[in-house]
Amino acid sequence: MDWSILQFLAAPIAASLIIAGIHAYLGLHVVERGVIFVDLSLAQIASLGAAIAVWQGYDPHSPTVYWMSLGFTLIGALIFSMVKGHEAQIPQEAFIGISYAVASAAVILTLSQATGESEHLRDMLVGNILSVQWPEVWTTAAVYVGIGVFHYIFRDRFLAISMDARHAATHGVSVRLWDFLFYASFGLVVTRSVAIAGVLLVFCYLIVPSVGAMLWAARIGPRLAIGWVMGVIVSMLGMYFSVQLDLPTGATIVCTFGLVLIVMAITRPFVVSRRAVS
Amino acid sequence: MKQAFITTGILVALAVVSARPAHAALRVITTTADLAALTSEVGGDKVQVDAFGKGYQDPHFVEPKPSFILLASKADLLVLVGRELEIGWLPPLINSSRNAKIQVGANGYLDASLNVKILEIPTGQITRAMGDVHPAGNPHYWLDPGNGRRIAQAIRDKLSDLSPADKAYFAQRYDDFDKRLAESEKKWDATMAPYKGTKIVTYHRSWPNFMERFGLDVIGYVEPKPGIPPSPSHTLDLIGDMKTQGVKLIVVEPYFDVKTPQAIASQVGGKVLILAPSVGGTKEAANYIQLFDFDVNTLASTLKQITGK
Repeated sequence: MDWSILQFLAAPIAASLIIAGIHAYLGLHVVERGVIFVDLSLAQIASLGAAIAVWQGYDPHSPTVYWMSLGFTLIGALIFSMVKGHEAQIPQEAFIGISYAVASAAVILTLSQATGESEHLRDMLVGNILSVQWPEVWTTAAVYVGIGVFHYIFRDRFLAISMDARHAATHGVSVRLWDFLFYASFGLVVTRSVAIAGVLLVFCYLIVPSVGAMLWAARIGPRLAIGWVMGVIVSMLGMYFSVQLDLPTGATIVCTFGLVLIVMAITRPFVVSRRAVS
Repeated sequence: MKQAFITTGILVALAVVSARPAHAALRVITTTADLAALTSEVGGDKVQVDAFGKGYQDPHFVEPKPSFILLASKADLLVLVGRELEIGWLPPLINSSRNAKIQVGANGYLDASLNVKILEIPTGQITRAMGDVHPAGNPHYWLDPGNGRRIAQAIRDKLSDLSPADKAYFAQRYDDFDKRLAESEKKWDATMAPYKGTKIVTYHRSWPNFMERFGLDVIGYVEPKPGIPPSPSHTLDLIGDMKTQGVKLIVVEPYFDVKTPQAIASQVGGKVLILAPSVGGTKEAANYIQLFDFDVNTLASTLKQITGK
């Protein structure tokens, strides 16, 4: 292995660890709420905002495009917190799926109206973890720490509505407001992460650690710890495979997530029974 | 603290890796296999060339791999197609390489499009009403042997600039390539002569330089706009145009789906032909001259069946 590659992978590695940190936590909420595809949906709504800004003639790398995608994410968060499917016997996933499909198609329609070489624009809206730069890593770290602190302060409220919204409502928690705050902060994270790492990778960082953790542990604390450890190990392992086999980095990490989850599922009986004994 | 530790480790590793022989060849990276082929023609064994994109890949979308960053970080020269062809993936790669030599505008950054013949450059002010415009012109210009010659000249001049001791060597290699290209051009012109003025359709706008050079007339594209999948009304319009003008051939790049072109071809009783837009796009096209050998011969034999000439 040519170790000089590490010099260039330092920023991608740092970015993947930061993303692993916040997504493993948010993933617990998302899996508890049963809204697995909400990040894909919010990411697509964000890129619709970006696509509209590009269509209006803004440079794909200009701040306007970022603010526009953020604005759309907040609108998406508002919609998800307003639409309470279970009151009408419709699963929340249905609304999420519909907004994903419609937002994706709207991106295609918007870009087909854009001036210039639209073929590149789709690429520009989705990041590649290999090309992340240090300034991006630092601002992202700052934003995620801010959101992490916010979630830590209000952890009881957030957990209460994620675990059992009805129960929380009877105890006087404004479910709509806290749902909106959850989706808004979540959307903020996802928009940034997708711009850095791409849709597939962000989805895996969100869902796979918490699913892996559920295989091995029942309580929230241990689950979070397992999720973090798993996120870190898979990031490093994926980077290693990507360098060693010279494969595209993002897709390699995604497949490594799959492999590690299979290993965790196979070893589950051993882990769970030992815990029962001890 | 941790970062300082990592940096030290990296510097040690770098010092070991970068100790290379005194008379090492110039390290050249190119974005496409065509530019790599032309660089080898001129540079011979005085250069070590690597291309990021393979000939069978769409040069608009190249998935960066860790090895690309390593190559870019060690390169003395980067040769790119330019005209925004690589805009989706090359800028972050140049940035990540942290190699001052190949940054935009540096001496080791060669935009091969600067002295070639570019088609489809919009004139006057670009407005949204004009629909799809390439602000910098069509980037598929290497598919004209005349442009291949101009690119080779630019590479010769740049290599001589970077390695003045080998100037005569590069000049001699260029002259040899120029001669072989000129001989082949006569052959290609003769092969294509009977089909001058034949109307065809292509999938993407990859072929204007090639078709202009050999006198073929592209009347439409399967894509309504570059990069946008075919739409029903555009496809119907295209079938109508092909029927009224008697067009029987659709040329497709190897990385596009042939379903729609085949459906159109069966509507008009025509044929779909896959040509190689780049060196390495097919096994037979291993260098720049062989690329045209393959495309010209394949195109001519298909046109012979269609037109009966």
